[in-house]
Amino acid sequence: MSLVSGPGRGGMAGMPVEMQLFVDKHVSYIQSLDTRKDELEYWLTEHLRLNGLYWGLTALHLLGHAHALPRTGILDFVLSCLHESGGFGAAPGHDAHMLYTVSGVQILATLDAFGELEERVPGGRQKIGKFIAGLQDPETGTFAGDEWGEQDTRFLYGALNALSLMGLLELVDVEKAVQHVHSCANFDGGYGTSPGAESHSGQVFTCVGALTIAGRLDLVNQEKLGAWLSERQLKNGGLNGRPEKKEDVCYSWWVMSSMAMLGKLHWIDGDRLTRFILQCQDPELGGLADRPGDMVDVFHTVFGIAGLSLLKYPGLEEVDPV
Amino acid sequence: MAFNFIRAWLRTIFLSPYRLLRALLPKYTTPSRYFEETQVASKSSRMPKFYHDDEAWADMAPLPQDDGGLHPLAAIAYSDEYSEAMGYLRAAMAQNEFSERVLGLTEHIISMNPAHYTVWLYRAKIIAEIGRPLQDEIAWLNPTALKHLKNYQIWHHRHTMIDALGSPDGEPEFISAMVELDSKNYHVWSYRQWLVKRFDLFDKPEELAWTHGMIEEDVRNNSAWNHRYYLVVGGREGKPSADIANREIEYTKAAIRKAPQNQSPWNYILGILRAAELPKSTLKDFATEFADVQNPDHVHSSHALDLLADIYAEEESSKEKAAKALELLATKYDPIRANYWNFRKGLLDQPKVAA
Repeated sequence: MSLVSGPGRGGMAGMPVEMQLFVDKHVSYIQSLDTRKDELEYWLTEHLRLNGLYWGLTALHLLGHAHALPRTGILDFVLSCLHESGGFGAAPGHDAHMLYTVSGVQILATLDAFGELEERVPGGRQKIGKFIAGLQDPETGTFAGDEWGEQDTRFLYGALNALSLMGLLELVDVEKAVQHVHSCANFDGGYGTSPGAESHSGQVFTCVGALTIAGRLDLVNQEKLGAWLSERQLKNGGLNGRPEKKEDVCYSWWVMSSMAMLGKLHWIDGDRLTRFILQCQDPELGGLADRPGDMVDVFHTVFGIAGLSLLKYPGLEEVDPV
Repeated sequence: MAFNFIRAWLRTIFLSPYRLLRALLPKYTTPSRYFEETQVASKSSRMPKFYHDDEAWADMAPLPQDDGGLHPLAAIAYSDEYSEAMGYLRAAMAQNEFSERVLGLTEHIISMNPAHYTVWLYRAKIIAEIGRPLQDEIAWLNPTALKHLKNYQIWHHRHTMIDALGSPDGEPEFISAMVELDSKNYHVWSYRQWLVKRFDLFDKPEELAWTHGMIEEDVRNNSAWNHRYYLVVGGREGKPSADIANREIEYTKAAIRKAPQNQSPWNYILGILRAAELPKSTLKDFATEFADVQNPDHVHSSHALDLLADIYAEEESSKEKAAKALELLATKYDPIRANYWNFRKGLLDQPKVAA
């Protein structure tokens, strides 16, 4: 899936007074992404190809057009990114890394294709599980992205997410991972990439998500974190990622899904946020941007639509906040 | 494969003379569409570089991308320069070549696409294998990092290099240059934290002075406040001494007086209180400077009102004042979060749970 931004811009053309979601436009926007191989940005974003495919596919599912991309084609591509080690690279020929492995597993789960995985790669599920488990740091419980050791709560969440989708959580030390997440809690109630690192909505999502999968939300200071998350809403309705930063559609997902897991979604103003997200659409060519007037891309498209789904926007499939 | 072969063949036959001509006549070359695109990648004007007619690479045949043939979702149309450079890198990697020329090749590819993590990993291997002086690598890395502020790979590479080098010398200067471009860059601050921990800089006076400078520059910089907390409390064991707690409380009060409606120092001061095991009521008089429930038209900080609500809620006789503060927040000073404030108000009526 291409990560190329544009061609359209969010909210440029005159929006109708009655704000609506342009479902068909977004579907054809996502379908069009892989036809843009003549653009330089297409190959500059190759290192995100598998993530992009997951984002596009998820957006289509939420829009109720799950079959708008060819299932066999996707499956062939995903499996062509799988290494002997059990890890996925971003595209064929790219090294295996946690982030793409998670996307690979998520796509397989979305397509309900674990059976086909076993047919084509015997023992594939176990292999992938082992690859992920091998990236856990036995001392701290956190996870690295690859054999080179960059560690981040993003990878920890990804590991637990992918393993739970495959029913293989028993391959890792969940309790140790949980304790590591707990040690990343900050004085303001939020979470960062590692102990002491600044609270950031995206990292809050990964930490709350990991604890939800592990069934340990009891460790979260829920009221304090809920308050911090609700403070992310700005007067224009949009959400930011950290105090005193600008709003961005992708935080509709990171912030709201975290609040949903904590059962505190009603602490923000949903109507205003809905309006903000809808303003970021390109009503003609489809897609959503980070904020009105900027270029659309598939990343902001899926997180905007997932945000609207959490806000119970009519006609969208329900998304699981984890 | 057949497609790739034909593509490579066509390129060799038809494109080379054109390139040769362009290399010979740089002055007369008008910027083509291709050239403009390259600028997007490297953000600097330069001539494209090719390897097939370079003698230093004559012994190597580039390895084409194996994208499984003409796969509808995967066939990738590279620009020629990038495609060729990647072809040579794949060939070098296939025969485990660690050399100066491949180091230069990774530099070339990184200049076009700094987010390609495989290239960075191979570069780190080359550096280890050929024993390139790490200072040289850092010197090259500095301008590259300044060009690509939000790139994960560059930072991880830097970690690896500085860790191996075993000294943080020069890093504060580099970081200062980075934050000048983006004062809240998450990578920069995380990296600074790592340096503090790796080289035990907690008590180095310059470190606290630096956060002070950053806060002076922008009192709303949450990253700077977070770093200060890491130095004073977060990265250490045990609770801060009374002297340090006092120093920080007074420091933060001064910052709040500059901009009362600024969330970061309010969070910070409460963090310090908690770490020092002091009650929130320590700040009662201070908070009243910015908000007085008796005078609801003159509230200068919703954060002060929030804190007062907590302090009043703790006092048996002041529940009404707490309710008033929360009501002001829900209706007047922060209505977008009315549901949250009303939830807090509901808690007032509940029997107190042991904290």
